[in-house]
Amino acid sequence: MGKAAERFVVEGLVEQTPAGPRLIGSRCRGCGTTYFPQKASCPNPACTDKAPVAALLPDQGTLYSYTVQRYQPPPLFRMDGWEPYLLGLVDMGDGLQVMGMLTGVKEQEVRIGMTLQLVTEPLYCDDDGTAVLTYKFTPAGTAL
Amino acid sequence: MRPVYALGAGAHPWGKWPEKPQLQLALEAMSAALADAGIVWTEVQGLVAASSRFEGGMGWGLHANEVVQAVAEQGIPCINVGGACAAGAIALQTAHALVASGQYDVVAALGAERMPKGFIPRPPGSADDRSDNDFLRWVAMGATNPAYWAIEARRRQHEHGTSERTLAQASALMRRNAGGNRLARYRDPISEEDVLASPMVADPLHLLQICPVSDGAAAVILGSEEFVRRSGKAAVRVAGCAVGSGQFGDPARRIPTISSTVREGVAHTSEVTGAVRAAFELAGIGPEDVDLLEMADNSAWHILAWPELFGFYEPGQGDWMLEQGKLAIGGELAINPSGGFLSFGEATTAQALLQVSEVLWQLRGEAHGHQVPDAKVGMTAVLGLGANGGSVILTR
Ligand SMILES: [Zn+2]
Repeated sequence: MGKAAERFVVEGLVEQTPAGPRLIGSRCRGCGTTYFPQKASCPNPACTDKAPVAALLPDQGTLYSYTVQRYQPPPLFRMDGWEPYLLGLVDMGDGLQVMGMLTGVKEQEVRIGMTLQLVTEPLYCDDDGTAVLTYKFTPAGTAL
Repeated sequence: MRPVYALGAGAHPWGKWPEKPQLQLALEAMSAALADAGIVWTEVQGLVAASSRFEGGMGWGLHANEVVQAVAEQGIPCINVGGACAAGAIALQTAHALVASGQYDVVAALGAERMPKGFIPRPPGSADDRSDNDFLRWVAMGATNPAYWAIEARRRQHEHGTSERTLAQASALMRRNAGGNRLARYRDPISEEDVLASPMVADPLHLLQICPVSDGAAAVILGSEEFVRRSGKAAVRVAGCAVGSGQFGDPARRIPTISSTVREGVAHTSEVTGAVRAAFELAGIGPEDVDLLEMADNSAWHILAWPELFGFYEPGQGDWMLEQGKLAIGGELAINPSGGFLSFGEATTAQALLQVSEVLWQLRGEAHGHQVPDAKVGMTAVLGLGANGGSVILTR
């Protein structure tokens, strides 16, 4: 049997590079601001060029804050074997903070300021068996 | 601009009213406001509605038109404004401008909403792709609204050492204030222990620290000096009235986005802080002059953080202010003497007009059961999805 089919929950959020996954954002050629996800224009009012181009974000960041999602979100969210999970806000540098699920860490071990590594994990399996992935963050050094 | 006065206000009690269509709630709030102002429909020269989100309006927000078609077809201008939970403030701003300009003498602002059961659905026609933040936040991570507030609250705990108990005290205070307010939905007192014993929703926020949703309606009638004189009521003036949108670089975790681009020196929740600052400037006063603040407490965190953002006191001082009883009715700065969103539940587009109604009754000394002693200056602050902020200052 070959490798099971995979896809991301949304196209254009994550790129799988040989060195691991990276988030796809935008960097504005006019003012240098970094955004996530990709932007159609640049909301910086002082920017006159408004020329965002696709850019890969760093694969690590530091935890700025977090919570635990204790109850099941509405059906647009799908997750096999639902249970409460950690949600973090991660500082990716350059003033950019990104929200995402945390994995591979227990609630008691989470520390604001800890270094996190971007990973991808399946959220659920489609009816045809396709694994549907999202991006998550895990403590740096523990990612496989 | 000429001076504008609040002639009267009316509200339908907040709750769940399955037997009353939203139009009925709106008509009852308007009737109460007209009675409070001592005027009749034929004297109303314009109606601005905060377009309801979930019902009526012929699907695109013709809410004011439905009201006059039901009760007073007299050719007056009907203006319908959007702005989610800040729509009521935008309606009031619009009504204010119509009177201040001298074009009309009496204009009403109205909001009425019946909230859907359970989760608020995405609007029809939304794109299921990465261009839609409200799609991304659900499919990629299942981030509910309370999760956003919880992330703010957790960061506050990290920066200022805010305790779970202080966060619980904020909810208990709101419920204590609501105890005397017949319009509030939840009026039974709760202790800090009750709050902490309620289910955890998104750490550190428990169920009793997050505002539920309700049905409700409120209306405020504005008018010229001549009309307030005629009414024989205390002259309560709209001293400042402003709306704002977000600033680039705002560090707030803005629902439903999944990222923020943060820039040094930009105000947190800038759509609201900007409106508050503008309202202060128009009124020619500052935080030290304000007796009561009616603000959008979507969570217990907001009670602690928002007055700091508005410059009432230093960042982190809210905990001490609350613990010392300085935010209670009779304290230095009464916060949400009405009981706030935590005790009303949010009826989105109607909420900001309820805030203004509450301030008007407080300044007249008519807030029976929850009166702030000798209130002379009251302020409102509200935030709407999509980076809409509004703030109103009334003085007598
Ligand atoms: Zn730019």
